[in-house]
Amino acid sequence: MRAKLVLLISAAIAAGIGATWLAAHAGAQRPTEPGPLLTALVGASLIGCGLASWRARPDNRLGPVMVLTGFVWFAGLLSEATSAPLYTLGVAIEYVFLCGFIYIVLSFPSGRLRTPLDKSIVALAIAGTGLQVVAMLFGSGSGLRCGGGCGDNLIQVFHDNGLALALLSLQRVLGAILTLTAVGLLTYRWLKATRPERREVTWVLLAGNATLLALTVTVVDDLLGNPLNSGPAKVWFLTLALVPIAVLATFVRRRLARGSVAGLVVRLGAPTAPADLRAALARALGDPSLELAYWFPAEARYVTPDGRPVHKPGADSGRGSTVVERDGTPIAMLLHDPALEYNSGLVQSVCAAAGLALENERLQAELRARLVELGASRGRIVEATDAERRRIERNLHDGTQQRLVSIAMSLGLLESKLAPDQAQAAPIVREARTALTLALEELRELTQGIHPTLLVERGLPVALDELCRRAGLPAHLNVALDVRLPDQVETAAYYFASEAVSNAVKHSHGSEIRVDVSYDGRILTVEIADDGIGGAAIGPGSGLRGLADRVEALGGQFTVSSPPGRGTRLEAEIPCA
Amino acid sequence: MRVVVGDDAVILREGLARLLQEAGFEVVGVAADAEELLELVDRSEPDVAIVDIRMPPTHTDEGLRAAKAIREAHPTIGILVLSQHVHARYAIELLSGGTDGVGYLLKERVADLDELSASVRRVGQGGSVLDPAVVSQLVGRRRQADNPLEQLTDREREVLALMAEGRSNKAIGERLFVSEHTVEKHIKNIFGTLQLPLSPDDHRRVLAVVTYLDSE
Repeated sequence: MRAKLVLLISAAIAAGIGATWLAAHAGAQRPTEPGPLLTALVGASLIGCGLASWRARPDNRLGPVMVLTGFVWFAGLLSEATSAPLYTLGVAIEYVFLCGFIYIVLSFPSGRLRTPLDKSIVALAIAGTGLQVVAMLFGSGSGLRCGGGCGDNLIQVFHDNGLALALLSLQRVLGAILTLTAVGLLTYRWLKATRPERREVTWVLLAGNATLLALTVTVVDDLLGNPLNSGPAKVWFLTLALVPIAVLATFVRRRLARGSVAGLVVRLGAPTAPADLRAALARALGDPSLELAYWFPAEARYVTPDGRPVHKPGADSGRGSTVVERDGTPIAMLLHDPALEYNSGLVQSVCAAAGLALENERLQAELRARLVELGASRGRIVEATDAERRRIERNLHDGTQQRLVSIAMSLGLLESKLAPDQAQAAPIVREARTALTLALEELRELTQGIHPTLLVERGLPVALDELCRRAGLPAHLNVALDVRLPDQVETAAYYFASEAVSNAVKHSHGSEIRVDVSYDGRILTVEIADDGIGGAAIGPGSGLRGLADRVEALGGQFTVSSPPGRGTRLEAEIPCA
Repeated sequence: MRVVVGDDAVILREGLARLLQEAGFEVVGVAADAEELLELVDRSEPDVAIVDIRMPPTHTDEGLRAAKAIREAHPTIGILVLSQHVHARYAIELLSGGTDGVGYLLKERVADLDELSASVRRVGQGGSVLDPAVVSQLVGRRRQADNPLEQLTDREREVLALMAEGRSNKAIGERLFVSEHTVEKHIKNIFGTLQLPLSPDDHRRVLAVVTYLDSE
């Protein structure tokens, strides 16, 4: 590695000295030539910053590409050489460095061309530099680029300077179109970028766009016969030297950003709430959109801090994700801006610093996820119970009750058919009929208790009205509810009231009951109060426990207030989401 | 008397038809759901339609709605609604459109053929019938001690219940083994205690009594 570096630096110094010497000893200076100072500056910037970037980000192509571009830049100065082969080579590759430059600005920061448009622009740039070689087949000397005193064009086959000049003009026009397209594309990307992405590309974008614009002016100026003299060319070489510096600066700044990890460690020293942890990480990573998800081993998936399931974002979701592990097992996942993926070093440092806090949070999130799951399973049990009750009621109504009624009819018919002289049979039939009527009555009470049909058919207020009419104590109903609520809410409220009223009748020794129902558009409140002896409490096996279960299964709240001697008040608050 | 029967359970529909024929009614048609029943009534113009409250498609209160529809289209046709549940609310909804020729009975009452045919006949003749179970739910409700109903004697309460069932003074007298005159005296006391205007018409007072009981 070190040897390679020494070799590269030595080669760069040699090439730089050679190119600068050539630039200084060029026969007649053309306005579009860089001159010795700018030749050395641009080349040194490309190779120097390229090597430094390569070292900072070995996995990123941009470092090697910048170094290579630097060498190609120096090589282009061979067009000032007097030796025919060197001159021919120099002219042929004179503008190849531009392809490297376009590649750098378009592929930053990943070092890869992502879209077909990017690839087309680079391909057209290569084709544009190829035009130079085609032009060399037709023209030479002053027709191409030599003020005089330069070498022979060894690959000239035809003699048509006019065509050669036309081809070079075409090259310039193509160049102007490509540079303007690149300016538009880069600007569009910047406008579309998220905040962390912008911070990442701004410097390179500014230097790149300035260079591209200056280049366009230079090319147009050249096409028009250089009325602006060497001004635009000097500007464009100067800004070109700034691009590698901007690339390197961005890479190095990422390293500096890891300094914010130290601040993070300090902040995490104090006890944190889930929201604080997220905010601290978002600040350290410079990504306000950061979200946290925690590993939930029981279900082998990630959950939000409040226990809801989260899916890993897909490749085209516009979100990036990083998994945080401890001892080889995942503890959390950071959902962040995709720009942070180019800076995985920072993300890893932040995760390492926040590991313990994340593990703590993960345990809490797991607990919450279990509670969410528990609540859901409770809800499912209640729902299944209600469905089963409905089924039983329906079966009894459509089957058993109908059959019993039909038997009762047959008995009635039989009774009417008994001849007057069958006096012994009459009382037996009547007895059977009476027993059957009693059985039907009991069955009716039973089915009504299993599933209140009136609730489904007429809604909560009517069902509660009927409930209060049947109560064994004077019951005053006060309902402020004029909409139908979800089935499970009405059912829960009804059973709650039904159970509470029957408790009051059986145990309160009071003289009256009050049932109050109100709805604020969000929460249904049911309150049952009596004027009895009080002293009721929720305990295992008490009827109140069952009431609490039903209400809590819907995410509701159940409260008991029952001071001895001052009556009992039960209140259920059921959310109607 | 010509009757039609609407019930989705074939076993009850046919059984009821047979029972009614046995009791001397002319069963001019049966229907399995509310829609069919309404057509049948339009076509055959019976004296009484006997309707199951729970019928397809939703098996909730189709019968009740059919009864209301028949009342509107044919005010003179008597309607007897049969239910398997004691839903005072449904009975009151039914009676609130007028008590003439309306009845609400529990299904199991069909076991007593005499009682059933008396009820059908009463409805057919423009009277009203309210199931004793519903009445006892209305009358038997627990009330505050200062409620006027609590001041009635047991016998007066019995008379009140029979009145609510839609029975005439004569029928009440027979039921309680007292003279019609005694019944009238009880009724006068009841109406006085409850501060209801005394109406000479047997039919109208049912509504007055039921409305009073319901509003309490």
